[in-house]
Amino acid sequence: MAEYKVLGKSVTRLDALEKVTGKARFCSDMSLPGMLYAKILRSPYAHARILSINTSKAERLPGVRVVLTGKDVLEKRYGLFVFDQYILAKDVVRYAGEGVAALAADSLDIAEKAIELIEVKYEELPAIFDPEEAFKQNPAAVVHPDLLSYQLGLFLTPQPVAERPNVAHHYKIRHGDVEQGFKEADLVLEGRFSLARIHHIEAEPHTWIAQRQPDGGITVWVGQQGIHLLKQYYTGIFGIPPSKIKVVAPSNVGGSFGGKVGLTADPIVISLALKTDRPVKYSFTREEMFKCGGTRIPAVIYIKDGVRRDGTLVAREMRLLFNIGAYSSLGILGVRNSNFGTMGSYRTPNLKVDSYGIYTNTSSALAFRGFGSNEVTWAIESHMDMLAEKLGIDPAQIRMKNFLKEGEPNPQGEIVHSIGAEECLKEVTKTVEWGKTPVKAEGLWRKGRGLAVANKYSMAPTAAVALVRILEDGSIELRHSADEVGQGAKTVLSQIAAEEFGLSIDRVRIVAADTDATPYFPASSSSRTTFQLGKTIYLACQDAKKQLFELAAPRLGVLPEDLETADGEVYIKSSPARSIRVKELFIVERPTSPQAFGAFLEERGEIVGRGVWNQPFVYENLKTGEIDPEAARKGLRAASFYSYAAQVTELAVNVETGEVKIEKVATAGDMGFPVNPKMCQQQMEGALGMGIGIALWEEMIMDEGRVLNPNLRDYLVTTFQDMPANQNVTLLMAPVPHKDNPYGAKGIAEVLVPPIAPSIANAIYDAVGVRITDLPITREKILKALKEKKR
Amino acid sequence: MKQRLELKLNGEMREVFVEPWRTLAEVLRDELGLLGTKVSCGTGDCGACNVLLEGKVVSSCLVLAPQAQGREILTIEGLATPEGLHPLQEAFIEHFAVQCGYCIPGMIITAKACLDENPDATEDEVRLAMSGNLCRCTGYVKVTEAIMAAKEKMKKSVSGTGYGKGR
Ligand code: FES
Ligand code: FES
Repeated sequence: MAEYKVLGKSVTRLDALEKVTGKARFCSDMSLPGMLYAKILRSPYAHARILSINTSKAERLPGVRVVLTGKDVLEKRYGLFVFDQYILAKDVVRYAGEGVAALAADSLDIAEKAIELIEVKYEELPAIFDPEEAFKQNPAAVVHPDLLSYQLGLFLTPQPVAERPNVAHHYKIRHGDVEQGFKEADLVLEGRFSLARIHHIEAEPHTWIAQRQPDGGITVWVGQQGIHLLKQYYTGIFGIPPSKIKVVAPSNVGGSFGGKVGLTADPIVISLALKTDRPVKYSFTREEMFKCGGTRIPAVIYIKDGVRRDGTLVAREMRLLFNIGAYSSLGILGVRNSNFGTMGSYRTPNLKVDSYGIYTNTSSALAFRGFGSNEVTWAIESHMDMLAEKLGIDPAQIRMKNFLKEGEPNPQGEIVHSIGAEECLKEVTKTVEWGKTPVKAEGLWRKGRGLAVANKYSMAPTAAVALVRILEDGSIELRHSADEVGQGAKTVLSQIAAEEFGLSIDRVRIVAADTDATPYFPASSSSRTTFQLGKTIYLACQDAKKQLFELAAPRLGVLPEDLETADGEVYIKSSPARSIRVKELFIVERPTSPQAFGAFLEERGEIVGRGVWNQPFVYENLKTGEIDPEAARKGLRAASFYSYAAQVTELAVNVETGEVKIEKVATAGDMGFPVNPKMCQQQMEGALGMGIGIALWEEMIMDEGRVLNPNLRDYLVTTFQDMPANQNVTLLMAPVPHKDNPYGAKGIAEVLVPPIAPSIANAIYDAVGVRITDLPITREKILKALKEKKR
Repeated sequence: MKQRLELKLNGEMREVFVEPWRTLAEVLRDELGLLGTKVSCGTGDCGACNVLLEGKVVSSCLVLAPQAQGREILTIEGLATPEGLHPLQEAFIEHFAVQCGYCIPGMIITAKACLDENPDATEDEVRLAMSGNLCRCTGYVKVTEAIMAAKEKMKKSVSGTGYGKGR
C-alpha cells in the first residue's frame, strides 16, 4: 500500500470545533430580513374527498400574506419516477398528513393561528393500508384509479401492473431456472419476513427558506441532501430554467440517513415563495416529521431457498412487497435497489425475484440508510441460519461456502470486483472465536450469539465533478457539492486534497453545496461520496498540479514533469532543494507597491483544476434484471460498487419479560480503504445504535393510516443505556480495495445497518430457540413465541 | 403583553422583553441570538435543547422564560473561557464524539452537569445521567468515551471541577 501522509490517518474532524462550541450553523438557524413563516394544513383522513375549503377567515387575519390551496398551485402532477402527486391535494387526499392548504405570515404565531382558521369539509373514502391487501387483483380500495394514464419519469421506467391496480412498479430478476434448481436441491425451505414502518429521526427537522428573485428565478436554502438533484426537480416541476435556480445546503445539515433525499414539502414552500417578494421559511415539527417526513419502506418478504446437503445454494426465489405509501416518491428506487441486495453476496445459480412497489393510503417512503438492502438482508440472513440449522452446518460455514469470489459473474452478470463479504465474516468470527466459546447461561437470562453479513450497492448511473483552485498563499480551495450531514464529507474530501498537494489539512479551504458555486454531484447519498467525489477531487488535484507545474517549470528551468509540490512550494523531484514558492508565482510586480491591488497569475489569471468522472455504465435488461454479458466482460456494470459488513451480536434474553440486552458486538466493514479510520468507526457505532433500535423496538404504530406515536416519547429509539458497554464493542476494518478509486476507497455508511437486525434475531434464536420474523422483535413477540414453543 | 426579564446568561446580565408564554429555548434562540441551543423535538423528549439553570439540567423547550427570571443560565456558548475550551469540548473533539452535531450542545451541557454532580461517575452512571439525550448519529460510543476522558482531565486540573461555573 502506498505511503500516505494524511490519508488513512484519523485526522480530527474539521467540523468538530464549531459543533462543540455551538457555533455550527444549520438551515434551521437561518433567518433573512423580512422573512415570512409558513404552515401547512394537513389532512386528518387517510383517504377522503375534499368537499370544500374555506380560507377566508385565515386570509383576513392581519399578518397573513399568502394562502394557497390545491386550486392555486400548478395544474399538473409531479413525481420523481411516477408523476402521481399534486403540490397540494386537489379533490382527493390519499394519506393522513397530506398537505391541503398552506400559508405564509409575518410570524410563526400568526401562521399557526391562521392555519387553524381554515375550514375543510371532507367525505371519507374507503382506504387501504396493508400492502398484501393492496396487492390483490381486486383490492378494497385503489389509491390511484387513473395510474395507467399518469406520466412516467424517464429514469428507471416504472412498470405498473394492469391487473393489480395498486402496483406502481414491478421489477424482476430471472436468472437461471429456479424450478429446476429446487428439483436439484436436497432441502427446500420457505419463509415469510416483514419489517415495520420506521422513521429516520434526523435530529434537525427538515427546513427550507425559499426566496423569489427579481429575474423570475428562485433561491432555496435547504436542510437537505443533493442540491443538484433538487435543482433538477424544481426545474422540472416549476418550469423555471436551471440557470435561474440556486439551491444551497448551509454548511451543516442535522442528519439525514436518507430522509433528506428527494422531495417532501419543497414544492409547497416554493409555491408560497413564488407568490411574494419576501423569503419564506418552513420547518417540519417533530410530529410532521413522523406524519409526512418520509419513512423506511415497510415490507413483506417471501423467500424460498433450495440448498444441497453441503449447504450449497442452488436456487432462491423471493417476492418483495414494498408498501411505498400514497405517492411513489423514492419508493420506486427502493424497489429496484432491493434486487441488488439479493445479488451482491452469494453465488446463486438460479435466482428469481419479483419486487413490487405498492400504493397504500399511508405516507410516502423515502430512502433509508441501507436502502433496499435492509429489507432483503433481514430475510436472507435469517433464512441462511434457518437453512444451516436444518442441514446441521455452522452458520458461518454455510455463508463461506456460498460467497461470490472476485472475478466471477454475480447473478446479474456483473463481474465481481472488490468483494469483502468473506473478509468481514472472517474478521468478526476470528475476533469472537466463533465456534469455540459458546455463550450459554441457564436461568432467567439466557444468552445467545448470532451473526449476519450484508452487502449494499451504490447506485449507478452516477457522475461527479469537482474543482480545485490554487489560492495566492499556496492554499487549496475545494469546490464540490457534497452536503455535510454529519457523515464527515468535509474532512475526508479535504484529506484527499491535502494529500495530493502535500499540505497540512488546515490549508485546504472548502466551498461546498451551493449550485451557484459548486459543480455537479447528484447527492452525497448512496454511500458514494468518498468513492466518487473522492476520485474527482483526486483528478481535479492532478489537473491543477499540471497547470501549476507548467507555470513553475520555466522559472526553475526544467520540464513540468520534473516537478512536485509540497508545503506550498514547487520543487524539482531530483533535487528538492531547488524550489519556488507557489505564492511567488502569484506576485505581480508593480512599480510602487507589489500586491497592492491583490494577486493574480499573470499568465492564466488563476489555476482551476477540474475533475470529472462519469462512471461507465450499462442498464440491466428489465425482463431479466441481467446485464449484457459482452458489456460485463468489458467491465461495465449496472451498480457503482458494493460495500460489505458482518456482525456478531451476543445478547441475553429474559425469559420472563422478553427483554433483550445486547451484551457484546463485533462489527467488520469493507470500505475499500479507510481514508479516516476513526470516522469509519463513527459510522459503525452510529449504525449499531440505529440498528439495535430497528431490531428491537422502533415502529410507527398505525391506526387507520394515522401515526399514533409521532413523538420521541412513544417512538422508541436507542439511548445511552441500551448500548453495550464500550469495552464490549469491537470494530474491525476489512478493506478490499476498489480499482475505480485512486486509493481503493468505497463507501461504508449504509451497509453497516442491514446485518444488525438479523444478527440479533439469530442470536435470540440461539438463546431461547424462538425465531421472530417480523421486525421489530419486541418483548411481546418474544414472550408469545416462548409460550407457543412450550405448548 | 411583553414582560421584562433579567437573566444571568453565561455570566452576563441580559435584559429581554418577551411574552410570558415564550419558552426559554425560543428566547435564547430568537431574542438573544444564542443559536447553539438546538430544538429537535420541542416536547422535552430528546435533550437537544438542554441548558443549565442554576447548575441543573433543564430542557429549555419546556421551561417558560419567566421561570428563569433572575436566575443563572449556562448555554453551550458560555462553556469555553478565554483561556480555552472546556475539557468536555476538548474531549468531544479528540475522541470523535461529533457527527452531525445537532445533539452535541445538549450532550455537552448535560455531561457537564453529570460530572459536576458526580466527579467520579462510572461509565454506567454516565450512561444513566445521559439517557435523556438522544443522538441518531453516534451510537453514543465515542460520546461516552469522551465524557469518561473529560472526567479524568477535570479531576487532574488545578481548578478541580469548577469549569464554567459562574460563567
Ligand atoms: S428539543 Fe427540548 S427536549 Fe427535545
Ligand atoms: S451527532 Fe447527529 S444527532 Fe448526535
